[in-house]
Amino acid sequence: MQSQNKNSHRHVCAVAAICLLSGLPPAAPALDLGYGDWQLHGFLSQGYTYTSGNDFFGNSQGAGSLDFTELGVNVLGHPWPNLLLAAQGLYRNAAGSDQEDFRLDYANVDYRLPLGGASHIGVRAGRVKNPFGLYNEGRDAVWNRPGVLLPTAIYFDALALRQPEISSDGGLLYGRHAFGDHALSAEFLVAEPLDNTGGATEFLTGIPHAPGELGGRPLFIGRAAYEWKEGRLRLVFTVVDLDRDFEFSSPFVPPGNVTAFFPLGSVQVNLEDWTFTGEYGHINIERSGLFPDSAPRVLRDNTSEAFYVQAQYRFAPRWSALLRYDAFFANIDDRSGRETAAALTAFTGVPQPRHRFFQKDITFGLRWEFAQNWLIAAEYHNIDGTGALSAVDNPELNLGGGDPHWDLFALMLSFRF
Amino acid sequence: MRWRRMRFCLILALWVAIPSAADGPLAPYVGRELSQAALGHEQLREIFFVRQSKWQDGTPIRVFVLPDSHPLHVRFAKEILGVYPYQLRSAWDRMLFSGTGVPPTVVDGAEEMRRRVKETRGAIGYLGE
Repeated sequence: MQSQNKNSHRHVCAVAAICLLSGLPPAAPALDLGYGDWQLHGFLSQGYTYTSGNDFFGNSQGAGSLDFTELGVNVLGHPWPNLLLAAQGLYRNAAGSDQEDFRLDYANVDYRLPLGGASHIGVRAGRVKNPFGLYNEGRDAVWNRPGVLLPTAIYFDALALRQPEISSDGGLLYGRHAFGDHALSAEFLVAEPLDNTGGATEFLTGIPHAPGELGGRPLFIGRAAYEWKEGRLRLVFTVVDLDRDFEFSSPFVPPGNVTAFFPLGSVQVNLEDWTFTGEYGHINIERSGLFPDSAPRVLRDNTSEAFYVQAQYRFAPRWSALLRYDAFFANIDDRSGRETAAALTAFTGVPQPRHRFFQKDITFGLRWEFAQNWLIAAEYHNIDGTGALSAVDNPELNLGGGDPHWDLFALMLSFRF
Repeated sequence: MRWRRMRFCLILALWVAIPSAADGPLAPYVGRELSQAALGHEQLREIFFVRQSKWQDGTPIRVFVLPDSHPLHVRFAKEILGVYPYQLRSAWDRMLFSGTGVPPTVVDGAEEMRRRVKETRGAIGYLGE
């Protein structure tokens, strides 16, 4: 109850802040800090979610939920031409799907070495954004998303994996080589993942409340891309390779190990009025020393499948429409979830509905930049399955409940400077 | 000092050469500090997508642009850079919210563009006739 009051207080504050800002001139520019190219930017976004069943970002059934707020402030500039410093603080509330409030989103130093013509290499270190797929790095701000929500099959927003997916502490090497209209780029990241945040430890180990900590080898991510005409055609391939040891809090339980391997292919075509996007990936998770050999295979060695296809149509200046189909299957060998549900029901003794092991979502959306630096986006989702839903917001999912077919309406108003 | 300041005051003005033809060719008009050959298509893209951060003499580059929907910005993006304006916006927003680059400064109109480019060391923008 107390936390509900706290949350409603927060979103009232966010709405008030947005209303106050509406008194500013519509074209409020970035704050030029008056030294070199240093700039201060930020965004305030307030969302609203309404669902016909299940809860998405707060108590979204009935009157809907305002537990969806994103505020960010960043400062960035070059102390020397090739050296970039940048940091962003983020406050995010998404009810049970995000319980971290304020966080340092990124804080990095970046040195870039030009190699003549249109090529460079560089190194970035600190808390860096993970180079992953097409949308990961900028996804905190709705301005970088085609609609209110990204496809949840690949960009986990309701699951605890959001924060480790977005950024990590370490460094990356990058390079780009352009020749005429063609460009090749590559990035390689080595970093300590943020996998002890939120419910990520629980998600990765598969152990409820996960009494312990993940550690061991750093996270590796590699991403390579080909671009034609600055992204009119974009082909991207990403590989995430995670190998972590899980130390139980109790000294009497030997440590376990979890590995995750996530290859992701991405394609985007940008035409004058249309953008077509697709991403497809597999996530293989192997766990050893965490479950007995008698445990179902899905807990020890499992591959899931995630993809989406999406069309955006810019039908008028400042307006765009969105159509998307995205799908997630927890076990690629059992897309209906039937066998997985049966095996886990037998193992845990708690009924596991099959709809927890997939989620298929058809989305229609509209986005309107109704004034300079202001945006409103709305979308309707028709969803089959509960595979990408937060069990914190929906505890009945762990007890065999939940609505297998549900609708989600999401709205977001955002101001940037 | 003044001479040095002037030297670094790079003004790139783009001349919409044939006003009578709506889709006539655009000819870049280049300030006296740069030769036209030095700012080819490829280099202009590097500069306006903010991948090149300094001029050959080491001066930091400061990029100024007009708002996304300004007719001159649209023409500059399409006809000089060969991209759609939303490609620039999406690249700038991505770098801004991921801490990987400083996007260009947006100015309100041609007058401010002229003034800021004149006043700012190492500046580049575009102007129409």
